[in-house]
Amino acid sequence: MSDLNLNISVNYDPFNLTIERQLPMTGITGIFGHSGSGKSTLLRVIAGLTQNAQGTIICKEKMIFNSETNYFIKAEQRNIGLVFQDSRLFPHLTVEGNLLFAINRCKNPQLNIKDIIELTDLTVLIDKKVTQLSGGEQQRVALARALLAEPELLLLDEPLSALDKQNKSLMLSLLNKVQKTLNIPMYYVSHSLAELQQLADNLLVLNSGKVSHFGNIHQVIHQLNNGGTIHQQTSLSLPIKKHLVDYGLTSLQLNNDQEIYLPLLEQYITKNITEDSTKTDQPKHLRCFIFASDISITKHEHSGSSIVNHLAAKITDISAQQRTTLVTVQCQQQVFYVQISLWSTKRLVLKVDDEIYIQFKASAVHTLDNGDS
Amino acid sequence: MIVQNPDLLALITTLKMAAVTTLILLLIGTPLAWYLAQMRSRYKVFIEALVALPLVLPPTVIGFYLLLALSPQYLPGKIWQELTGQQLAFSFTAIVIGSVLYSLPFVVQPLQKAFEQLGNDVLEAGKMLGAGPLDRFFHIVLPITKASFITAASLGFAHTVGEFGVVLMIGGNIPGETRVLSIALFDHVEAFNYAKAHALALSLLVGSVILLALIYLLNYQRPTDRT
Repeated sequence: MSDLNLNISVNYDPFNLTIERQLPMTGITGIFGHSGSGKSTLLRVIAGLTQNAQGTIICKEKMIFNSETNYFIKAEQRNIGLVFQDSRLFPHLTVEGNLLFAINRCKNPQLNIKDIIELTDLTVLIDKKVTQLSGGEQQRVALARALLAEPELLLLDEPLSALDKQNKSLMLSLLNKVQKTLNIPMYYVSHSLAELQQLADNLLVLNSGKVSHFGNIHQVIHQLNNGGTIHQQTSLSLPIKKHLVDYGLTSLQLNNDQEIYLPLLEQYITKNITEDSTKTDQPKHLRCFIFASDISITKHEHSGSSIVNHLAAKITDISAQQRTTLVTVQCQQQVFYVQISLWSTKRLVLKVDDEIYIQFKASAVHTLDNGDS
Repeated sequence: MIVQNPDLLALITTLKMAAVTTLILLLIGTPLAWYLAQMRSRYKVFIEALVALPLVLPPTVIGFYLLLALSPQYLPGKIWQELTGQQLAFSFTAIVIGSVLYSLPFVVQPLQKAFEQLGNDVLEAGKMLGAGPLDRFFHIVLPITKASFITAASLGFAHTVGEFGVVLMIGGNIPGETRVLSIALFDHVEAFNYAKAHALALSLLVGSVILLALIYLLNYQRPTDRT
């Protein structure tokens, strides 16, 4: 079993963090929760930066913490990396100096520094003082430095929270690329569901120090829709089908005969811009989300509407919320969440199993790849 | 080579005393400053007050109590005499002990402030990259707080050079052993030998100005361009 087994309890009266869970050591696991939910405390306990915990932590079958036997492997000996929110670069060293600091302490270096510098796009910054870098550049150095320590597990504590939209988008792409290239398992803490939706394979949700949800990212986001704690949304990961440059749209393959359209993803356009990418071996998947409040329901197939996304669906659930109704619909295999007013619910006389149409504008399909936050 | 000039002998004794004192101050002041910077207990203020005592206490008070402690009638002096066969009071060792206590705040305080400003953030970053405690001290703490170490060492050295009351009380005026520049200057003034007093006073003054200028020069940081 190459997982991380957590059985821990941390008390900071009156706050208590209690987790008994096995977390995967593959891909990216998102850790989501609101302020004070215990996300950063959890990372610090895993990293070995706090000893104020009870219980056990077993990483890849190796005990790294056992409070009963007072067994505590120090942070510097755990081979776990951590990218902090505030980069924490060493101000007396250059970019290269910061990277060499990590390499010189790596017990069995396998990675080539040049490869990591290229991967994180630091070539032109290598001789600069870290105090001369922008926030986004500093975080790229922090990421490269953490990677060069070659950790078994990389923890990321809200690494994008201090960045602007453009840098956030760049860093998300970079993290995706890094994970796919190096295959280092990552635990990514954030209070931004949008960030996690773009990156994580699995999602752990913390609520007042307890795990409230854990599982596949899309499924957990959909489960959260009923809790009223997030902006209700449909989370999707779909293959890019076509770029309609002349119309400023990109289409994603939803089902065999259904597509959804979003504003043109210019960064994905290659030489043959109108090529149907689903016909190639590995069509590029795009993570995106649509807020439930951006989708409307109509009982009849539209004609003469400017709205580009119009999909036949079937109602599977109707749930009355405080002032609205959350309608769950199924478009073949894909579920969508629609938030409508109580008045519309009454006026349309909606029932489970009704055949309806959902519609939403292209601009309602959000992805951080096109700079949405 | 035997130095005959009593003022030159006093200068050598002074520099030797200041150098040894500064070295000892850095060795004991660094961990003490680190401990105080990390300490979260309310009792921290008592230790800080003890360290800062020489700043407000007349040197003769410290000198008087040290004289008693280092004399063979009291335990520290007695133990020393039993171990070495020598009297501790009125020796070079005694003036070094006095100087260390008297100059302690000049070394501990700038270091403590530097360690407090440094915080734990970069040290945690170092831990996460596999750096152990000594590695973190020598490759993170020391380079980042280098300016404070220079300041602490220079202030400790300069303050020791300028010492008078404590040295006179516990060291007396033994040429080549405890007779330092400030005492030599006092002797010249008492003997109305103002020309020699001037030479010593002026050299101390110029030396101090040069030393302080060097501290500021070393600590001077050029404004950096932030993007």
